[in-house]
Amino acid sequence: MKVDRRSFLSLLIGGAAGTALSPLPWKLTDDLSIWTQNWPWTPVPQRGESYYETTTCTLCPGGCGVKVRKIDERCVKIEGADEHPVNKGGVCILGLSGLQLLYGPTRIKTPLKRVGEKGEGKWRSISWQEALDELASRLKQVRSKGTPEKAACLLDGIDGTVGRLFQRLMTVYGSPNLFCMPAAEDASKAALKLAGGSAVRAGFDLEEADFVLSFGCGLLDGWGSPVRVFKANSSWKDGHTTVVQVEPRLSNTAAKADHWLAVKPGSEAELALAMANVIIGRNLYDSEFISNYCDNFEGLKRLVALHTPETAAAATGLGPETIVKWAVEFARASRPVALYGRGQGRASAGSLRDCMAIMLLNALVGGFNRSGGMWIVPEYDYIAWQEPELDEVARAGLERPRADGSGGGKDGLTLSLVQRLLGTDAEQLPEVLMVARCNPVYSLAGSGGVEDNFRKIPFVVSFSSFMDETAAMADLVLPEHLYLETLEDVPVSAGLNFPLIGLCRPVTEPQFNTMALGEIVIRLAGIMGGTVAGAFQWDDYETCLKETLENKWETLEEQGFWYDSGFRPPAWDQAFGDAGGKFRLAGGKIDEILEAEEITPAGDPAQFPLVLVPYDSIRLANGYIGDPPFMIKSVWDDVLEGKDVCIQINPATARKYAVAEGKVVHLVTPVGKARVKVHLDEAVMPGIVCIPRGLGHTAYDAYLAGKGINVNALIGSMEEAASGFDAAWGIRAKLA
Amino acid sequence: MKQEQTKHRPKRYGMVIDLDKCTGCGSCMVACMAENNVPFKKDESDKLLSITWMRVYKITNGKSFPDSDICYIPRPCQHCAGQHEGHSPCVSVCPATATDYSRETGIVSQIYTRCFGCRYCMAACPYHARYFNWWDPVWPDGMEKYLNPDVSPRMRGVVEKCSFCFHRYQAAKDKAYLEGRRVVEEDEYQTACTQACPAGAIVFGDLNNPDHLVHKLVKPDLKNGGRPRNPEVFRLLERLGTNPKVYYKSSRQWVRKAGDNYLPGEKPGAVIQKSHS
Amino acid sequence: MDSALIPEGVKRCPTWKFLLALAIAGAVLLWGVVAMLMVWFKGLNQTNMNDYYGFALWIWADLAFIALGGGAFFTGLLRYIFGIKELKNIINYAVLIGFICYSSALLILAIDIGQPLRGWFIFWHANVHSMLTEVAFCLSCYFAVLCIEYLPLVLENRQLDRVPFFHNLSHNMHETMAVFAATGAFLSFFHQGSLGGVSGVLFGRPFSFRTGINVWPWTFFLFTWSAAAYGPCFTLSITWLTEKISGKKLVKDNVVELLAKIAGWMIITYVVAKIIDTVYWATVTAPSLGFKWTFFYSNNPLYGKWILLTEIVICGIIPGLLLISGPTRRNPTTRIIALLLGVLGVSINRWVMVLQVMAVPVMSFDKWVLYYPSWQEVATTLLPVAYGVIMILISYRYLPIFPQEAELNPVDSVSASDGVELEDGQQDEKEAQTDGQAVPAEA
Ligand SMILES: Nc1nc2c(c(=O)[nH]1)N[C@H]1C(S)=C(S)[C@@H](COP(=O)(O)OP(=O)(O)OC[C@H]3O[C@@H](n4cnc5c(=O)[nH]c(N)nc54)[C@H](O)[C@@H]3O)O[C@H]1N2
Ligand SMILES: Nc1nc2c(c(=O)[nH]1)N[C@H]1C(S)=C(S)[C@@H](COP(=O)(O)OP(=O)(O)OC[C@H]3O[C@@H](n4cnc5c(=O)[nH]c(N)nc54)[C@H](O)[C@@H]3O)O[C@H]1N2
Ligand code: SF4
Ligand code: SF4
Ligand code: SF4
Ligand code: SF4
Ligand code: SF4
Repeated sequence: MKVDRRSFLSLLIGGAAGTALSPLPWKLTDDLSIWTQNWPWTPVPQRGESYYETTTCTLCPGGCGVKVRKIDERCVKIEGADEHPVNKGGVCILGLSGLQLLYGPTRIKTPLKRVGEKGEGKWRSISWQEALDELASRLKQVRSKGTPEKAACLLDGIDGTVGRLFQRLMTVYGSPNLFCMPAAEDASKAALKLAGGSAVRAGFDLEEADFVLSFGCGLLDGWGSPVRVFKANSSWKDGHTTVVQVEPRLSNTAAKADHWLAVKPGSEAELALAMANVIIGRNLYDSEFISNYCDNFEGLKRLVALHTPETAAAATGLGPETIVKWAVEFARASRPVALYGRGQGRASAGSLRDCMAIMLLNALVGGFNRSGGMWIVPEYDYIAWQEPELDEVARAGLERPRADGSGGGKDGLTLSLVQRLLGTDAEQLPEVLMVARCNPVYSLAGSGGVEDNFRKIPFVVSFSSFMDETAAMADLVLPEHLYLETLEDVPVSAGLNFPLIGLCRPVTEPQFNTMALGEIVIRLAGIMGGTVAGAFQWDDYETCLKETLENKWETLEEQGFWYDSGFRPPAWDQAFGDAGGKFRLAGGKIDEILEAEEITPAGDPAQFPLVLVPYDSIRLANGYIGDPPFMIKSVWDDVLEGKDVCIQINPATARKYAVAEGKVVHLVTPVGKARVKVHLDEAVMPGIVCIPRGLGHTAYDAYLAGKGINVNALIGSMEEAASGFDAAWGIRAKLA
Repeated sequence: MKQEQTKHRPKRYGMVIDLDKCTGCGSCMVACMAENNVPFKKDESDKLLSITWMRVYKITNGKSFPDSDICYIPRPCQHCAGQHEGHSPCVSVCPATATDYSRETGIVSQIYTRCFGCRYCMAACPYHARYFNWWDPVWPDGMEKYLNPDVSPRMRGVVEKCSFCFHRYQAAKDKAYLEGRRVVEEDEYQTACTQACPAGAIVFGDLNNPDHLVHKLVKPDLKNGGRPRNPEVFRLLERLGTNPKVYYKSSRQWVRKAGDNYLPGEKPGAVIQKSHS
Repeated sequence: MDSALIPEGVKRCPTWKFLLALAIAGAVLLWGVVAMLMVWFKGLNQTNMNDYYGFALWIWADLAFIALGGGAFFTGLLRYIFGIKELKNIINYAVLIGFICYSSALLILAIDIGQPLRGWFIFWHANVHSMLTEVAFCLSCYFAVLCIEYLPLVLENRQLDRVPFFHNLSHNMHETMAVFAATGAFLSFFHQGSLGGVSGVLFGRPFSFRTGINVWPWTFFLFTWSAAAYGPCFTLSITWLTEKISGKKLVKDNVVELLAKIAGWMIITYVVAKIIDTVYWATVTAPSLGFKWTFFYSNNPLYGKWILLTEIVICGIIPGLLLISGPTRRNPTTRIIALLLGVLGVSINRWVMVLQVMAVPVMSFDKWVLYYPSWQEVATTLLPVAYGVIMILISYRYLPIFPQEAELNPVDSVSASDGVELEDGQQDEKEAQTDGQAVPAEA
């Protein structure tokens, strides 16, 4: 016993000392610390050969050239392509986040067929053959009833081969109901059309301008081709160009402008017309251009006579002398340009009245086709396919009225009156709706009503690569490749003052079981058979693309884009190309448009004392592409707090309605209601409530969904009577 | 001849950010995240828990509508030299030498595998340029494919910060050596944020090299801790003596004033930096 | 049951009471351990710290524990170096409290760091310019000293003391304790100081930054001084609390008063130095960095000038005066008020030097940021408190901590044997006897 206790103690102490002195604990300590440096759950990126491949970014209409850094087969970084004429090495926050879309959890991995209720999120994976057969048979069904017009198609645009393939499909099929999502460009094309131009679009020689008068354009918030405009802005800083921003909120653009004219929202046309009044009244207009190349100056004089600085002062909230001052400065500048398109110019077409009035300012100073001015650029004409042969059904279908009651692109002004096809008040819904590269359920004003309509459409087909809100409401999803996986032409307009076709080419193998959108159309047509198949004689989309771009293909392949570096706009006498070639300043439809009242937001001011104005932010992608995780991470903490979006209101507004910073309130409009947080901001005009677009997604992934509110659900569409454009820029609102 | 000169001179890499041009677009932030494998979480709205080596601050002139004005201040690590070269606020305090000041480049490095997460350096940095990995970094399935092998992803429990994209310097240097050159040219080493900035607001280069644009813009007073001689150029918290290598340029007086703290009645520019040790 | 372990000549509460107390403290301890494990396994995201508050509740607790544990080194210094004999009657307790405080501080550091398994890098890759390196080295060394100081006390346990080796060891250790006390005092001077240096050297933080001598900012000296001044307040407060709970007088008044008087003078001198430091900082240092001192106390919901007033006047000047003036020092009520104010004062000081430093905006466009701890932080901060309670419960029960206890509380076997406690007591005594017989037989 004696020995036991003592030896036990000795053993214990000796053992402890021995272990401590042995290398074991030190080795273990060291190993443990090394283990913390190599935790198996912290990824170790594989090394490999590093190289670049160039392509074109299509995440917005900007058309930037990008290069993708690759390590073996992995894409690891997107950077701007230095030699690209559009972005010259720059790249925007969205473009930089592209790989998160490519590899992100929100991709649709294979064709899907709905099995649950609409929007329930229950799907069955199907093969491409099955998917295409299903769609073809649905389309045939509608056509066999002799009502091909009951099939409709909604796209982001029809400038490139893919858009044209859809257009061709709809034509041979026999439906006039091809629609495009609205954008400010629609208004400017329509305005040019009314002024006498056809098959032309507006481009802006931004870099050379010495005075930029922007009517609410988010030049630094994603307007036009965003990177190009950023670069132009920097050159304005270097070259002392004056930038005047007209806007009720101190946006990024307003903050960086030399002068911010805080006007009441919706009064842009009033301001522009009053400025025109001043310019004419003081004989500051370009008399050479006006008298030789314009029509009906007298008519314009009569029109603007009603819009004096004094009347505009009431509408805009600016002093008459301010209006006079800036009108004079604008007219006296040597290379002034006035710009149209609220925010990014992609939420809606806006009002044709605004667009017309602003374009008139450019006309008055002779700013067309001149250095630093507004250029009238011919529309792309490189897609010259043979007219397709139509059968009886198609001919009859094409004769029927479009669902929007307009003549569409033919004799109407636009293809983008989508609110009449799908909006809250839409009367006749299609039986089959194909949606590509847009997300109407999220993006259209009154999106709640749009979603209801989607439930009513018997068969919705989405070609989306992402599980967006529209795809979620679809019956069939045929996922297309992402831009980094596909080959396609990208004709760029977005305010560019020269023609440029970018080439989007696969920098990686498709990650999933997806297909190029053009290929989908061609295969679908093949299955349809008859004249439909007959109109698509190409073996595949790649052949179609190469044939179409025959003479430009080599250049495209070589440098990744084709452009006319020597492009100069036609002289004034040929600006419109067609007979007479004069710019119509007034008369007929123009008068009707300009004489209309300004669009006032919906709602009773007594009940809804505030005005809700959504705004665009470069850090929030708000179209078909949702914010990838990196971008959402960059959203300011005074915009998004946890799951709540902050409304910006002036402290004076807050005092008046007794709400304080950080308070959770309900924002109520005549069409909806949402929970928001209050953020006080001197950058906002009193009486106005601002919310960013791009939040409030319900689809996509956990990094984007459920954050903030979708402002489109709080706003209804407001048609401008003379044009049919959805010109709603806001809505009346109250805090509760 | 010129090569001989530049060969021996230690480099002081630095940045000038033109706040007149900076649009607050955030490209620099995301370029940095993409380049440097910065992780992200499902909720990043709490900026006190959000790792952004480059963070863009929004400042206002405090005036009311419509005289209010906004300016954006992109803030990478300032790569402070301190009062005597190398005595950066953060480097001097790190107990484990897990962050270091390079006398070759002037870059303040961070060694993730040595950092044990005491966060003293964060307490020391007045610019909040240092970020702690409160969580394990997690990339959604498949997304780890885009990770850059030149920069190791960090583990939970360590501090990280902007490195002036040091791996790009190494790559440029390796390339130069391979080609038998001793000098890394100005355009060979540019940071990811500089490269991405669509406004061209960021200029990066060797402040010690009179041929580099940063030097020309700043006109640094090298005898006086690199204080800018260009009156439109300033540094953040100049008076603390952190001696940063990130400079800002603005034509607006209120912006320049916001760069530092002043007693009532003091005029920016009139105040000479106090030296202390 | 455990009476064989209880020192001779003193009486302890019944085992069930002891076990109940242990159980209560143990429950808190367990809660803390759960939180600690969560922090270790899930990471520091379990806290409410953030990138502005890299240092928060724990670092405050750490600094406060170390300051409060300062009673050990300072009493040791007085006892062994300055040879103030009376203090031998409280030195054991001071050492125990110091031991608890320092082991707690080390534990907290091990929880606080993001990579606990790499904690030793602070020694391996030591950066000698860092105050934290100095802290780590001195703290660990001083903790070793405290262990050495505490060990003989443990060996004096009735049973251990019977082992001749332990008996001789503890005896010899007592002999050489002066050497350790001197080492301890020296080490403490540095680590208390370097803890002050931790925030004092932050020249990027105008609120805490101080000029100083050579590499040492004034806070270096202020921290050492304040630990010496307020540490004994804590020792005395805990002694008072122990007396209240045990219902016995444990240390004679003359000893308490002597230490209280010394603490009083230390506080007064410290506060004078602190006031000078504050005035210099407010009128010279801060303005040279562009700050008016009032800036640090305005525009936020918590930190007002009241905190400065509380720290310096209410918890500095007042307790100092109460302790140096004879009548208030001798009056047990005013004395304990003064001691508790002292404890509060040094805790506020450490709070201010950790948390207010983090809260104050430095860039002109920064904002005040306040923080509140998560329950895991609170639990892990209470963990050492529970651990300390347990340590005191056990040590007090089984070790001859208070040399004067037997004399002050003579055990009367008759009076000790009535009531319910009697049975327990008797039973204990029986066990003690059998046990007690067995041991010598074996030895
Ligand atoms: N194929 C191949 N593999 C090899 C070797 C080889 O020759 N060829 N060599 C082997 C040898 S010998 C070694 S030592 C290892 C080296 O292997 P690693 O240690 O992985 O080496 P690196 O890739 O040089 O650097 C590691 C990381 O440190 C980052 N870094 C650079 N500078 C700093 C800095 O200042 N601070 C911080 N925090 N990070 C920095 C880099 O961006 C990089 O992400 O590789 C081994 N593996
Ligand atoms: N630019 C640049 N320089 C670096 C580094 C860097 O990342 N970039 N990394 C640094 C580091 S971490 C390291 S470890 C060093 C490595 O530097 P070195 O030690 O120079 O490494 P290696 O380039 O691998 O070259 C070793 C040589 O050994 C030869 N060799 C291979 N096997 C054997 C063998 O069995 N016997 C003999 N006799 N020779 C053999 C190889 O052919 C090669 O010529 O480089 C350092 N220098
Ligand atoms: S501006 Fe548009 S096209 Fe250019 S990189 Fe950004 S998203 Fe892509
Ligand atoms: S990328 Fe350039 S413009 Fe955009 S926020 Fe950064 S520095 Fe400013
Ligand atoms: S900015 Fe902060 S992290 Fe960067 S060197 Fe300076 S103190 Fe260190
Ligand atoms: S957190 Fe890391 S880098 Fe910072 S001081 Fe501690 S050990 Fe050094
Ligand atoms: S220099 Fe590199 S690491 Fe630093 S902010 Fe820019 S991109 Fe990020």
